[in-house]
Amino acid sequence: MSVSIVPTLKVLLPAARIALVMLLGLIAGFYANATFFPGTSPEQPIAFSHRVHATDNEIPCMYCHVQARRSISAGVPSVSKCMGCHAEVATDRPQIRLLANYWENKEPIPWIKVHDLPDFVHFTHKRHVLAGIECQTCHGPVETMDVVSREAPLKMGLCLNCHKDNEVEHGTDCWTCHK
Amino acid sequence: MSNVDRREFIKLVGAGSVGVGAGFMLAESIKHPVEHLIPYPVPPEEFSPGIATWYNTVCGMCPAGCGISVRTREGRAKKIEGNPAHPVNQGRLCALGQAGLQVLYNPDRLTAPLLLQGKRGGGDFIETTWDEGLSNVASRLAAGSGGDRIYLLSEGVRGHLANLFELFMGELKSANLLYHDFAHPHSLYAANARLFGQTQLPYYDIQNTRYLLSFGADYLNNWLSPVHYSLGFGRSRQDNEGARGRFVQIEPKMSISGAAADEWIPARPGTEGILALGIAHQLLADGVYAGGSDAVDWNAALSAYTADNVAAKTGVSAETITRLASEFGHAEPALAIGGGPAGNHTNGTETLVAVNVLNYLVGNIGKPGGVVFNPDPVAGGSAPSRQANFRDLQELAEKARQGAIEVLIINNTNPLFTLPNSAGLNEALASVPLIVSLSSFMDETTAMADVILPSSTYLESWGDDMPQPGVGFSVGAVSQPVVAPLYRTRGTGDIILGLARKLGLNEAMPWASMEDFLKDGWRNIYERDSSGDGDFDSFWRDVLIAGVWGENERLTGSVVIDKQVIDNIAATEAEFSGDPDIFPFILQPYLSTALYDGRGANLPWMQELPDPMTSIVYGTWIEMNPVTAKQLGIEEGDLVRVTSEQGSIEVPALVFPAIRPDVVAMPIGQGHDAFGRYAQNHGSNPIQILAPDTDAESGGLATSATRVTLERTGGHAALVKIGGESRQLGRNIVQSTGSGDAGSAGHSAKLNSIPIVVQSS
Repeated sequence: MSVSIVPTLKVLLPAARIALVMLLGLIAGFYANATFFPGTSPEQPIAFSHRVHATDNEIPCMYCHVQARRSISAGVPSVSKCMGCHAEVATDRPQIRLLANYWENKEPIPWIKVHDLPDFVHFTHKRHVLAGIECQTCHGPVETMDVVSREAPLKMGLCLNCHKDNEVEHGTDCWTCHK
Repeated sequence: MSNVDRREFIKLVGAGSVGVGAGFMLAESIKHPVEHLIPYPVPPEEFSPGIATWYNTVCGMCPAGCGISVRTREGRAKKIEGNPAHPVNQGRLCALGQAGLQVLYNPDRLTAPLLLQGKRGGGDFIETTWDEGLSNVASRLAAGSGGDRIYLLSEGVRGHLANLFELFMGELKSANLLYHDFAHPHSLYAANARLFGQTQLPYYDIQNTRYLLSFGADYLNNWLSPVHYSLGFGRSRQDNEGARGRFVQIEPKMSISGAAADEWIPARPGTEGILALGIAHQLLADGVYAGGSDAVDWNAALSAYTADNVAAKTGVSAETITRLASEFGHAEPALAIGGGPAGNHTNGTETLVAVNVLNYLVGNIGKPGGVVFNPDPVAGGSAPSRQANFRDLQELAEKARQGAIEVLIINNTNPLFTLPNSAGLNEALASVPLIVSLSSFMDETTAMADVILPSSTYLESWGDDMPQPGVGFSVGAVSQPVVAPLYRTRGTGDIILGLARKLGLNEAMPWASMEDFLKDGWRNIYERDSSGDGDFDSFWRDVLIAGVWGENERLTGSVVIDKQVIDNIAATEAEFSGDPDIFPFILQPYLSTALYDGRGANLPWMQELPDPMTSIVYGTWIEMNPVTAKQLGIEEGDLVRVTSEQGSIEVPALVFPAIRPDVVAMPIGQGHDAFGRYAQNHGSNPIQILAPDTDAESGGLATSATRVTLERTGGHAALVKIGGESRQLGRNIVQSTGSGDAGSAGHSAKLNSIPIVVQSS
């Protein structure tokens, strides 16, 4: 008498088929989300264009992000800074009226973060700016963007490769960034 | 795949759809959550996001009054350190001070004014506005028939807030301004007043002394100003040129100070004063006292305290007494301090007077390494005299019962936790028509209030502090808000000023805010300050930046003691509540390192801080000598019912070698039934079962005067502690001190087998 496992497998075949289709669906769904809804260029409360400011009007990055060379965070400009120009400039455009609205109510503009690092990463703008690293190295060509999107992955590999290429002292020590 | 029928097809389509949906949601769930970049509409001057700003202010966690520097970023407090410029703590800070952040960010904080709905103590409050809350209280204050029916019971406040309270109560024509701090050293104040005529505590210069004799003062843990004294202790051990300071601790249960001492002497509880006078007698006999005409008086007053007499009463051998006297008398300078359990007996003041006699006889008054008197504080000098002793609080309860209290305002003190049940305050409060609580938390007392006006924490309020005890010269420190109030709370001073405005006291109290009142008061300090040449505004800015102002000049000079005072010096044995046959053990409750008098119990960091002597976290326990434990058949973790004449509580036992067999000890701080999620339902409160005995002279609660009996309940609770083995097993990890010759045994012993005989008194 011989024992075969084939009959047992045959019984399981429909279930296996369902599981396989489900798995394929899972992968498809995952990639559909990642491809079509990457969340790297969220819609902002005001349709602010970096292209208009930085390329067309040639305003340097650190005119507005004034803290980048002094602080760990680059700093988003205060509403009063925006109004410094826009009290006079382009006051009739709908997006500028939105800005003026915030200003009159003395409310902050709830910008959505595009470039963000996890809380366990200690990154400081000051060091990188003072070392002469271009903003675009990590942020991409923001000056050409109407809507800012995250182009560089901002993962650990990016940091390490750059630290290695530039032979940063202690650049690959864990505690340089994770402290 | 040929055999896919219709049913199978539908199943597959369904599975595929579920898969796609799940995959989509999976990708969505691992995305970084949306975060916002919120700019200031108008940024504060010189503000940079990402760059920390440090503010100097005053710690409010205990009465020591250390200076702190708080690191803030983007308007949020991040870290607290000691302020290096402050003469009390000189840049250091204790664990409780560090945990101040958890007071600020505590999830159980009161966030808005509350009005009681329904039955008192039912916990049903509704939120209201400040305007309504203040009006509500003010109308009752105005309607109160006569000012003396209005009571303000506060934590011990100092500086200009004390002045503001005085002013406010004065305007209400009420003399009933009382301060209550559980750990206030009533007997120490009384002793310094009797012998030296001082109303302020003196400065004990531990740093410069060569020989420190401490009668129960756990100065490395929580006696008066522990950070300052710890610093002084370290310097006396290491920085003194040529000699390492020697240190002897006399106490029935080894504290962290006792563990750091060169010699630990467990004299019989309540006989510390007799021991001190025994040493004093020996100093006279040795000819150490070089004093003038009063030597005759001293000899007469102390003639009964011969070494043999004292040895019989204290359980410390005559040889030890003469040796201590000889060491103490010939070390220059030498210093004696007293407090803790020694000051908390029914003879506490007597004992501490006797300790001060030692200082007088070795002539260390006003000298480096000795007792240095403090000048009166530059503001709020009345504060110590407002401290209510236990008798005052009993009287308060009695007045309440009689219906003589119309309005009781309670500021940030928790007498329902820090007074024994025998004080009767809980029932008495039922007869008070209106109880108002100014507090940041719903503690036991606040839960009984009708109106809660939530006060901001010390990190959000204006105030100032003149540390008590001072450091021998005038010091003032300004407490400034380091962050804006997180919730709808106000500083205590601002609440009082708000009430004053509602009462129409604008003429007498015209200040718009505590900050204005403070600046007004500091103009006087500016005027007596000769160092600056700028105007007041620059002086004020300098004080805020430095966090502290001081004159940096110690008072010198000696003291003369009247013959009458000398003639009255005597030391008796303490009295205890409870028949020794029924209640054989003396209960010694002690201030917990982490939780202090219970105020640290709602801070997770403090709950997780192991007790330094036992390494236990969480809960309450009772410490007993191995001999006692063996007699009673108790092992570690056994639940024990601790019963006094006043009631009983159940706690797990800890077999602890460094305690007299006739004494059991329990840490204070746990056993809250209110005070937030971290404080509630841990351990029990030993204060509850204390007898209403007081120190005869000062009226302070004699916390070490209660006798208890122990009984196994049969239950068991594992103690949460670090390390399972408390003995060294010959590994010599820690060098142990010989315990001297307590009891009748008279030979030195290892820490784990102290040869003390239970004395039935």
